[in-house]
Amino acid sequence: MQFSDEDIEKLRPRVRFKVCYEVGFLCPDVDDIVQETLTRFFVASKDDKVRNTAAPGAFLNGICRNVISEYRRRTFRDEPMPEVIPEPPRKGLQEADLFEIRDAIANGMEQLSARDRRILRAYYLEEKSKEEILKVTGMTDENFRVVLCRAKERFRNIYLEQTKHRRV
Amino acid sequence: MGVDFHRDELLREQLVTKYLYRRLSPDLVEELEGHYLECNECFEEMRATELLIRGLGEPILQRSRVNDVTVLRFMESSQLLAASLELTELTKAIRLEKDTKVLIDMSNVSRIDSTGLGVLMNCYCHAVKNSGALKLLHPDVSVKRVLNVTRIDSLLQTFEDESAAIQSFDGLQSSS
Repeated sequence: MQFSDEDIEKLRPRVRFKVCYEVGFLCPDVDDIVQETLTRFFVASKDDKVRNTAAPGAFLNGICRNVISEYRRRTFRDEPMPEVIPEPPRKGLQEADLFEIRDAIANGMEQLSARDRRILRAYYLEEKSKEEILKVTGMTDENFRVVLCRAKERFRNIYLEQTKHRRV
Repeated sequence: MGVDFHRDELLREQLVTKYLYRRLSPDLVEELEGHYLECNECFEEMRATELLIRGLGEPILQRSRVNDVTVLRFMESSQLLAASLELTELTKAIRLEKDTKVLIDMSNVSRIDSTGLGVLMNCYCHAVKNSGALKLLHPDVSVKRVLNVTRIDSLLQTFEDESAAIQSFDGLQSSS
């Protein structure tokens, strides 16, 4: 099975998220790890090494894990190179991004009613079970799902809006 | 037999939340990662949940009480500009909570515009009307310049030292 460039590009944000999850969102080598993972995956697919072509995610996940392990071993082994002066971080852009996404999140939060916010806080932050929340609030299972779906829909749109013009 | 992530949205949501909090068992982590790498719907759900959790958990303004003075601190780098969330939070914090002795720590505020100044003045008037005061702590150089150019610094006292700022409220009657 072969993947087109377009297929590979669709995978990029997902692999990026997985890499960030493992090595941290501030790791300067995230993009290199993602690129190496996608290159290996692309080569493997060209050589027909992907066994389950209907579900290549597990295979890609395995490649990504290997690349991250190699990266960690290399980072641990390598001596720092003081003669290389790293480029200064682009603080302005990062701050702009931060403000933009925070404002988008804030707008999403403002659209939630106080009651919905309380319910969502209980579910996501206090990690109360659905049953506990239903008992305390007197809601039905259906109502609870509606609250959750409505909130998720808003934040899904925020995410999609953010990805329109930027890699996140 | 693997987990069917599309069978029950609530089950998926639970797994995603646990994954984001890093509390999912390793075998489920592997299964979920393998799945979202190929399933756009589940990946989008995960990102939406991540943003939602961030929104729910992010207090922009931290409120603390020193003696009878309310100290408001911006937790992250903030801008007091028209339509920015920080302004809404600030207005809410001062007007709805009915605090009249308020010290705003501006060390994380990098920019302020005329709307921001308007809100500060509005909050100041609210405090003064209620026999209180509103003062600023650690304003940034650029914020200081704006306060100076607009002469607002002649009304709003600014301090560089927190204890001196707190002490300066002595003698004001507390209404809260």
